[in-house]
Amino acid sequence: MAFVEVSVPAEILAKGPTGYRIKVVDYNATERRTYLDQQEYQAGDGMLVDPFAPLPGETREDPAYQKRLLADPNFHAQNTYAIAMRTLGAFERALGRRVSWSSGGHQLHIAPHAFAQANAFYSEPDRALMFGYFFRQDGQPVFTCLSHDIVAHETAHALLDGLRSRFSEPSGPDQAAFHEGFADIVALLSIFSLKPVVAAAIGEDSRFVDADRTIRLVAVGKLTADAIRNSILLGVAREVGEALETGQRGALRRSVELTPEAAHLLHGEVEEHARGEILVAAMMNAFVELWSERIAELGRFAGDSYNLDAVVEEGAKLAGHLLNMAIRALDYCPPTDLDFGQYLSALLTADRELVPEDEWGYRAVIRTMFERYGIRPQGATCDAEGCWQRYPADGRLTYARSNYQAMTRSRDELFRFLWENRETLGLSPRAYSEVISIDPASRIGPDGIALHETVCQYVQRADLFGAEFKAVLGTERPEGMRSSDRYTAYGGGVVILDQYGRVKYHIANRLEDAERQLARAQYMVDTGQIGAPAAPDRLRFAALHQQRMGA
Amino acid sequence: MPAAPETATIYAYQVGFGDCILVRFTYAGGALRHMLIDFGTTGLPEHAEKTQMLQVAQDIQGKVREGDPDRRLDVLVATHRHADHISGFATRDGAGSGDVIRALDPRFIVQPWTEAPEAPLDWEGPDASVTGQALRQRRASLQAMEDAAGTLVAFADAQAGHLPKALAEQLRFIGQDNLSNRSAIDNLRTMPGEKRYAYHGCDLGLASALPGMDVHVLGPPTLRQTDTIRKQRSSDPDEFWQLAPKRLNDALAIGDEGKLLFPNARHRLRSKPLLEHRWLQDRIDAANTEMLVGLVRALDAQMNNTSVILLLKAGSKTLLFPGDAQIENWAYALQSDMASLLDDVDLYKVGHHGSRNATPRSMWRRFTKKSDRSGPGRLTSVLSTKHGKHGSEDRKTEVPRRTLVTELDAQSNLYSTEALEPDALYQEVVLDLR
Repeated sequence: MAFVEVSVPAEILAKGPTGYRIKVVDYNATERRTYLDQQEYQAGDGMLVDPFAPLPGETREDPAYQKRLLADPNFHAQNTYAIAMRTLGAFERALGRRVSWSSGGHQLHIAPHAFAQANAFYSEPDRALMFGYFFRQDGQPVFTCLSHDIVAHETAHALLDGLRSRFSEPSGPDQAAFHEGFADIVALLSIFSLKPVVAAAIGEDSRFVDADRTIRLVAVGKLTADAIRNSILLGVAREVGEALETGQRGALRRSVELTPEAAHLLHGEVEEHARGEILVAAMMNAFVELWSERIAELGRFAGDSYNLDAVVEEGAKLAGHLLNMAIRALDYCPPTDLDFGQYLSALLTADRELVPEDEWGYRAVIRTMFERYGIRPQGATCDAEGCWQRYPADGRLTYARSNYQAMTRSRDELFRFLWENRETLGLSPRAYSEVISIDPASRIGPDGIALHETVCQYVQRADLFGAEFKAVLGTERPEGMRSSDRYTAYGGGVVILDQYGRVKYHIANRLEDAERQLARAQYMVDTGQIGAPAAPDRLRFAALHQQRMGA
Repeated sequence: MPAAPETATIYAYQVGFGDCILVRFTYAGGALRHMLIDFGTTGLPEHAEKTQMLQVAQDIQGKVREGDPDRRLDVLVATHRHADHISGFATRDGAGSGDVIRALDPRFIVQPWTEAPEAPLDWEGPDASVTGQALRQRRASLQAMEDAAGTLVAFADAQAGHLPKALAEQLRFIGQDNLSNRSAIDNLRTMPGEKRYAYHGCDLGLASALPGMDVHVLGPPTLRQTDTIRKQRSSDPDEFWQLAPKRLNDALAIGDEGKLLFPNARHRLRSKPLLEHRWLQDRIDAANTEMLVGLVRALDAQMNNTSVILLLKAGSKTLLFPGDAQIENWAYALQSDMASLLDDVDLYKVGHHGSRNATPRSMWRRFTKKSDRSGPGRLTSVLSTKHGKHGSEDRKTEVPRRTLVTELDAQSNLYSTEALEPDALYQEVVLDLR
């Protein structure tokens, strides 16, 4: 258990705590009571205060201080608020804009002690994150709301759902797995910005005093890629209480243990968390590789050691960069039927857009690691670097009747543009079509000048019977699908407009893509998702998480 | 190998929501052999008399002893310990339906390996790693699940006013099905016949009881077998069995003042919510109940997945009796070498009273004898069930599942106990095995 202080956007909190994006309601359904918030978040002089900051003379390491906090439900509530706000902050920083919850509401609810069940989940219809608790064999309660990992993971689900609402629809094996894998990546990478936690996991080997400051040292041998994988990451997992004391292995631990060979087997896996592990392992192994490379560039002290704080700082910077990249990649993902290979291309493209020269070799390492875990960019739509190909400026698109200014604001105007170019862009004229979002994306270009681009998502859907599969989608229906089965096929794309309003990228999974549609439908037949009831929305992410906690 | 029987007669008894299947094999020259597969109910048909189970037992006795008052029941199979499969084996001072069956002095009693009281000296399976201790743990888990079922029934009764009616009924139903059938279990345990504990691929050694036939055990898999196909490493079945009943008990402790997390924290009771808490409170309550039902269903499914799956090859025909096995139990068989045995199935005793999860598509697809035309050689299916006891149509979880029954009806000669006249005691299906 580690205690760390983190920064969150300044705001005057109401009871809950309730802020402009998060509202904590500490209702416990098992105890049938709500714990009331007794804290003051603003001092008499108007200054914002942290009610759980150590008292004068106290440190965060004092056992009495820690005990006091853990015994106070209000601290649990504040912990969830802070982690959720921090995670939201990471998204907004990466994307350079406000990120909305998918419900359209402004405040996401959090219930830190929702029920006595070993489960924690994001529920879209309830606009809430619900965290359960359970009792160990010795009768002590274990709170999921105290796990940084779990809170960040659930918040990431909510944020991803806001950005790519269709990723929670039934699809091929990768899409559902992506929700899990991505949430884990966000949760894990954000741990590395908690520097005291990482420093404690690495451990100090010696120290010396230089003038007025103390330099903590760590032995070189502890920081090779293998050593990081085998001991430091596990140490971090321990520090953040990842195992929750259920004997279950958390995501970080598993990402280390999952070898490329074992991952190979998981490619046939249908269970989302397990399959999502492939993505997590690829990303975390890339992180380890890059971190060890950056450490090797640091100056060495006598006795063959590094400055521990510099090592931690490099890890934090790198994790921050990868987290940015992972989040920014969402803008470059097709809005429906995502697969891991497409996410890789999105990741590489997002980074190239931001850092055209791959000075540190990030993209090369990422590509190699993903490749090792069986994830590759997809042929024709990618360039030699594995990035999405830019949309060719071959004059085939008609811009004449579109108003660029209006297109960046009005979904109808943008749709007009898509519709007029439907043949060139490969949109089905028969399907139901909708532009679901238009977002600004700002970044600083390599010359230091701010660039403004626009990211637009559209989706198409076709509701059909098995009998119509061939007529609509261009291929025989999959084995096991009956002529009377109802089926919904999706297509859609992201159009990225540059600062002149020209299409820079068109990243799409077309509706009329027979091969892809057949693979998706066959998967859905094989996994019993056709004609079967969808899990009730509320528990969409719950069943998985419960399983993961061994309940 | 001795000659195979010439006919098989299947009696699917009217036990409402439950199973009771007597199979009679008739050999050339008139010799008879009998196998009883399950005998239980959790809901008799509305018109049935209270003595229906006793009447069924007496009818079974009559059939076994037909023409020979000393004839014994050759094989008794109790696929798993749910009430709807074993409640009929309960005894009552010599006058219960279980007493009648006991009097038939079964020569062999087949149960899943999970029921083995301890590892016998010559124990060769399920595998060497399953020691007596593992079996004892398993037994403790079974006990814990039965205790949890008791709590569940009490919960459903106590919360009847707070829960949606359908939900309360469902919880009560599952609870009752999992309650200990102590008398039935004791009766099975103490019957003098030879005990056989079944697991995938084992040889039950029934040649003397069922001459001229091959008996294949497709399930349940052992822990190690399950391990080989289990990719979700975090859901260890044994851990599940130990943890889940405890977790259920904790989750059911709603409103229990003795177990407060923060006894001294300032709070507001549910009945007097603050304005800012109301909207979410209702939703958390609903989520809690939904998850509770999920937990209960998962426990129930675990028990179903201990079901023995038997496949008999008799003469030219193949008969399949899968108990209530659901996909997790089937998964091992379906990827094993034995899966090809399913191709030739002539008679399918529909799994789990026709629920969606117990007839996996990958199994159904293998049956080569299903056909949309009636005629010789077409698949026969036998369904023992009762509407309105289990699941809900809205959620497409009703049992029997409408779409499955439609498909069975279209693709096989379907015999359902639901189609029986009120005074009929069983469906009778005769298969020519020559």
